Amino acid sequence: MKPILLTLTFALSVASAAPDGKQLFTTNCSACHMLDQMVVGPSLVEMRSLYDGKPDDFVKWSIAPQKKRLGAIEMPSQAHIGEEGLRAIYSHVMEVSKGVLEKQQDKGDPYAAAPMHLARPQVQRIFMPDASPASIAVALDDTNSLCWDAGTCRLRYAWTGGFIDGFPYWKGNGSSLATVLGTVKYTEQASPFGKDALVKFLGYKVKDGLPVFRYKVGAYQVTEAYSPVGGSSGFVRSFTVVTTAPLILDFPAQSGVSITADKGKLDGGKLSLTPSEAAAFNLTFSLK
Amino acid sequence: MKTATFLAWITLGAAAFGWTEHFTFENIATPPGMDPQVGAMDRMPDGRIAVAFHRGEVMFYNPADGSWKLFATGLQEPLGMLAEADGSVLVMQRAELTRLKDTDGDGSADEYETVFDDFGMSGNYHEFAYGPARDAEGNLFIVLGVASYYAPMAEEIRGEFSEIGQVDFKGMTSAETWEKNMNAAGRMYARVKWRGWVLKISPDGKTMEPYASGFRSPNGIGFDAKGRLLITDNQGDWRPTSPLYDVRQGGFYGHPASLVWQKGWNGGDPRLMDVAKLDAMQVPAAGLFPQGELANSPTWPVIIPQGAFPEGMAGQTVIGEMNQPNLVRVLDDEVRGVFQTALVPMFDGSPLGLGNNRMVFGEDGSMYVGKTALSWPGSMGITRIKWNRKPFLSLEKIKALPEGFSLRFSQPLDASTLKTLTVKRHTYQYHEAYGAPKKNEELLEVAGATLSEDGMTVTLVIGALEEKYLHLIDMTGLLSKEGGKILGNKAWYHVVKAPE
Repeated sequence: MKPILLTLTFALSVASAAPDGKQLFTTNCSACHMLDQMVVGPSLVEMRSLYDGKPDDFVKWSIAPQKKRLGAIEMPSQAHIGEEGLRAIYSHVMEVSKGVLEKQQDKGDPYAAAPMHLARPQVQRIFMPDASPASIAVALDDTNSLCWDAGTCRLRYAWTGGFIDGFPYWKGNGSSLATVLGTVKYTEQASPFGKDALVKFLGYKVKDGLPVFRYKVGAYQVTEAYSPVGGSSGFVRSFTVVTTAPLILDFPAQSGVSITADKGKLDGGKLSLTPSEAAAFNLTFSLK
Repeated sequence: MKTATFLAWITLGAAAFGWTEHFTFENIATPPGMDPQVGAMDRMPDGRIAVAFHRGEVMFYNPADGSWKLFATGLQEPLGMLAEADGSVLVMQRAELTRLKDTDGDGSADEYETVFDDFGMSGNYHEFAYGPARDAEGNLFIVLGVASYYAPMAEEIRGEFSEIGQVDFKGMTSAETWEKNMNAAGRMYARVKWRGWVLKISPDGKTMEPYASGFRSPNGIGFDAKGRLLITDNQGDWRPTSPLYDVRQGGFYGHPASLVWQKGWNGGDPRLMDVAKLDAMQVPAAGLFPQGELANSPTWPVIIPQGAFPEGMAGQTVIGEMNQPNLVRVLDDEVRGVFQTALVPMFDGSPLGLGNNRMVFGEDGSMYVGKTALSWPGSMGITRIKWNRKPFLSLEKIKALPEGFSLRFSQPLDASTLKTLTVKRHTYQYHEAYGAPKKNEELLEVAGATLSEDGMTVTLVIGALEEKYLHLIDMTGLLSKEGGKILGNKAWYHVVKAPE
């Protein structure tokens, strides 16, 4: 017992005389640096490979850090800790990282095969390219997908191929957009109800996995449902619009896209509907 | 080697002693193959535990058989949830407050109703959205995080852009010139509507009132047992250390970015304002989590229900923590009408670990802790904590006195250990820089520590308390009459008002 007690007393008295590297690390560093993997900043294991035997360089860098890594953020200066404290942190980092190996980071999405990701059809809210931050990605079937924007209450674009890769967004804190896995074949520049109409998003229902969006645009209360055409590239868009006046919607012609309507008159990119036709009508978009 | 291990055990032992002798810590298996980072939790009326995961799934865990049932999918970063009496679930996600409804009774949601989305989104990753908390009248409170200068805004935003600031819209949205503009943008910015604000939404979702401003990264909102709206925030710019706020209508809570959206604001770019003026405007924190010692990234507040933990803790608030392997228990006090608190570590040195983002109590009194990381240090999955009903020594109540503190414990104390009590205090500098070191730290002389007749209350005399100072009462050396050590060995009391 005696030697142990002596060691303990000694350890405590040393700890009270010098700055506590472990405590300083917890207070100042642990929010961004983990032992064996890069999080916000590099791991302690990597620091060891960079600074082993170079405490001066470690202190210098901590006082005046620079931007070094592409895609990583620049550390704020740790000058407030003081040189003595930084040296204590250095010793702590070297001590705990001794003999530890960097955790192998798998480059791909470890959860790519999750049932929710494989489900078709599916509706997934995520940051999408070329749309507002309130966007919704929709997989209609294995090869047809689209981006519907809840911020502007309109279809932004549709593509064929795969669905999305959300891993760039999900792997961290959301600082990257999802990637479209396919070729965009149709893009809508404005709402068919008019460019400047005020919109209000009301949500969506899910029917057999497919979305029925609900919103107000100008004076109209609208539902807009999507389904696949089946067997070929494209989608069916089913609207209900409450109106007492005739309705004219804009669907400007695009190359490689043919649009047909089951109600009203579609002519020169304009669909004219009587109020009763507007109550429920379908548009089929065939994509080359 | 043996000596070293034993030594480590002794030195750690003081703080870590005993949680596992009174609580069990058990990992709950989440469904295989899916990202198990937890963003939100609540208990359904039927007793199942509703969990929202990082990639947008909402699932119900059945404690009776350990099964999971998928309820909803496809949400974006859900960070708050409220189970409703009819079985629907309110979820706060990045873009909106959503009500998930199962209208056809098949056990999964078929309606995703937008309850409220009338706030801005700049596309910046740091604009997290938290809530809702519901008051007694059914009003819903949400709180919106501000953007980070580690990324610009998106070119296409939702809502109005505030022209107040040194960088114009083009500069704020251009990735190419961002490195040049980021410092002038402010470390955290709020150029779209209601970022940094608490919003009060009517029960039907139809009307909204901007309620309070000054928030940064408020990853915790909830009402305590007395009906106070508690919000936690994270250390950072304008946040010397992480605060706990008792939020009242019209209050400004310290982070200036949000002020550009104050009605009639004509103070210009708030970050260029006189710091003393901003300091005078801000409501002091009801509690402070000292960085690195208690919490670096505090999270959600929940109320400890009757019977879940020892009797004296019932009705108290417990708060999660991402960055340190512990939770934090809140001890209430009120001085001259001002709510102020002492914060005490809970489960420190236990197997709990990091990433403690959300908590909920099951019907049997078990506490479920949902974990996340989101690229910051943390963890994932769910830990269930259950008290084995064996009593232990803990601090139950604290009261500020003109000359010190009154401390009420759960068990009679060994009077001979009172002399081990120490008190320190320090304050912080309010400034724009990221975090702040302790200022004016001093060890106070304990002039007296006397025990009540029942042995359970200590009157600690240290002289007049200092306002806006965080007082640390270190109780590590205390023993109960039976020789038991204390669990939760430190209390950090933030004196907003000193008793007269």
